[in-house]
Amino acid sequence: MSSSIENTLGAVLTKRGRTVDRIPKAVQAATANGATLGTAHLALGGSLVAALQAAFGFGLFLARLESYPRPELTFLAWGIFVAAFVTTVVVFRTVGEHLPVWLIIALTIALGGIVTLDFIAIWSLGNIGGYATASVAAGFALLTVVTVRQPVEVIAIAAALGTAFIAAIVRTTPLTAELLPTQITVVSLVVIPAVVGVVIVRGFRRMVQVELDRVLVQSTVSAPRYAVGMLASEELARLDLAAEKLLESVATGQEPLPLTPGTASTAASLATELRLHLIEGRRETWLHHAVSESEFLGRSVSLVDKGSLAGLLDPAQRDGLLAAVWLLLSDSPKATANRSIRLELGPVTRTAQTVVGHRLVVPVVMTIDGVSRNRIDPAAWGAIGTVGQYAITQNRNLTVNIECLVDNPASH
Amino acid sequence: MDLITKERDRLLQRTSRLVGLCGAAVSLASLSVPGVVSWTTYLALLPLFALLVLAHLRLPGRSQPLWISVGLVAGFAILVVGISPWDSNESVGLATALAPLAAAGMGGFAFLLTRSLPRLAVLVACFLGSTWLVHVATVDTGLFSAAALSAGIGWILSAFISYWLAASVPLAARRILNIGTAHRAERQASETEAQRRQGARLLHDTVLATLTLLAHSGVGVSEDALRQQAADDARLLRQLRLGATPTPQSSGQYQLESAEDTVLGTTLESVKHRFGRMGLEVSWHGTGQVLLPTDVLDAFLLALAECLENVRRHSGVTQAHVTITEDDNAVRAMVTDSGVGFELDAIGEHKLGFRESVVGRLHEVGGNARLFSTPGQGTTVVLEVPR
Repeated sequence: MSSSIENTLGAVLTKRGRTVDRIPKAVQAATANGATLGTAHLALGGSLVAALQAAFGFGLFLARLESYPRPELTFLAWGIFVAAFVTTVVVFRTVGEHLPVWLIIALTIALGGIVTLDFIAIWSLGNIGGYATASVAAGFALLTVVTVRQPVEVIAIAAALGTAFIAAIVRTTPLTAELLPTQITVVSLVVIPAVVGVVIVRGFRRMVQVELDRVLVQSTVSAPRYAVGMLASEELARLDLAAEKLLESVATGQEPLPLTPGTASTAASLATELRLHLIEGRRETWLHHAVSESEFLGRSVSLVDKGSLAGLLDPAQRDGLLAAVWLLLSDSPKATANRSIRLELGPVTRTAQTVVGHRLVVPVVMTIDGVSRNRIDPAAWGAIGTVGQYAITQNRNLTVNIECLVDNPASH
Repeated sequence: MDLITKERDRLLQRTSRLVGLCGAAVSLASLSVPGVVSWTTYLALLPLFALLVLAHLRLPGRSQPLWISVGLVAGFAILVVGISPWDSNESVGLATALAPLAAAGMGGFAFLLTRSLPRLAVLVACFLGSTWLVHVATVDTGLFSAAALSAGIGWILSAFISYWLAASVPLAARRILNIGTAHRAERQASETEAQRRQGARLLHDTVLATLTLLAHSGVGVSEDALRQQAADDARLLRQLRLGATPTPQSSGQYQLESAEDTVLGTTLESVKHRFGRMGLEVSWHGTGQVLLPTDVLDAFLLALAECLENVRRHSGVTQAHVTITEDDNAVRAMVTDSGVGFELDAIGEHKLGFRESVVGRLHEVGGNARLFSTPGQGTTVVLEVPR
């Protein structure tokens, strides 16, 4: 149990190569029909940012209208921009997360058209950076689709835009101290918004995923002392069904008797798995299920609980323990991968007399790798405090000894 | 603090840092163009830029307000030094070079300045101050310079995105919480379902026995009997899957009623039938009718069936005797065969699955089991459960 977690049987879930990759039904139901966990709202924000910038750009264009030699082309570019932008936003708001591919292609073509028209309109001015308006807005327009397209795609389109700008600038604009800063600024203004958008969306998704994982695992807090767990429960149903099908095919004569060696060995492994599931399934605690079901905890928490003592913790203590583990793992400024926690429960060696009667003392030892004491969120200590009294020792790694008082199961 | 709030703050910090560093880089690149500022000014600006970059890099740490202040002060210092009167070299490019610094290099901090009133005050002050300074740097001052407007827009967009992100988080959190509630219900349902399946122990016992027979390709059992057995078990499993509690048919296979007490006699008969079909003749002696609580009866029958299975597989004889006795406290079953027997120490209880499937099950209901055997002299198992 030190480095790998077994689901009740058979499949060994190693720390990294998790064999079980399931999406809970509740998540499937909630995200059916393209519903999103807040990303649609985020996308609306992106559209608003693009609209705001476009309004600013259009205002700038109108204010300097008399300097433009061919304003009708710029107006046309803006017309295409508005049409493309409105279409994208409307389709996006109505069909949700799944933007049709034709729309993306149309949008890309429209952006190309906008940039071309805008450049032709100001080509003779010899200062692309100073007079480009609609084409800059085109760069910001990518923010409308940043939640639905692959980051690579968005960045590629932004890079293409930037390249077009650089090419046009090199062809038309004298690179003097007067004009060069404007050109640098405009090129970065075309490329950087998409990059920032991609980074924000990725961070947002990660945030949602961590929270989702935490909330799903949180449901173990109210589990009984021993639980079968969702993975094992589904596994048992699957084995039952497999056995039913096999027996059915034997009964109807589909399978010839005596059985072929292949079918016989299927029957043997089914029997073995089923037997183990029936005997051992109920010996796992909520904590085991929490760790093995969680994407994030499974990666960095190892659990040693030979006596299944975690099951004795009351809901408040479980909540505190889980919260502490989450806080300890999520707190590192870099990726959580290099932090690991080892939880060791038991053995029970003594009891304590308290006001509510005789209670067992379950020692919980939490060993945290890859963190020093002063970098830990103070909230983690608060959470640990709800589990029991604790003492901290800092050696090569940080060790927290918690004395957890629980009801004596024998006294019930 | 909530985990999601922490994650949100981290996201804002990262975005702030990215925007800020981009702005500083673009601005520095523009200022590096020869002729935009004089060399003395440029050299004076470099350490200030270093300070600004450092402030952005140090943001994720504990002393965030300190580094925000340092960054903003450094930004203002760059603006002031850049436009300072001792630099007589007025250039058109200066305002556009300073605009990204104000818009993003400093404006990036707006991501972290929207969540409390004092911070908002700082945000507004810095927004106005830096925009005005960029305006001052402009040579061809019209109504209000484009560079200054861009600087202002940078601040406004950063603040807007920050506000919008913060507003998206509770939405997502509420959704996720709903999912969590549904998931908890799902977990409870699956737990109940698993317990129902595991609780159908007699059913699984017969299924396992049939599967074990099939694993040996069904050799040694008549084909018809095996097909019949498989059909019965498949039907029971189907009933279990459809949510019903499987009930015995007229042929009287297995009793899985949730009645308080169940009559031992009829179920003993079913065990006898099953082994009969598999070629082990079981003779019953002693009490025919015994009343036991359901869970005790389950354990008792499972242990008994397991012993008979061992006899069938290992003893080398086709007959076993089961003697049931009872007194006020306990019901006992003695399973004897006159088969090959074995050396207790040599084979051990583990090998027969004895400890797991017999002793373990009986212990759960407060009973126990003892095993006696000598090579060549047959085997006797005594099972005991409390009444």
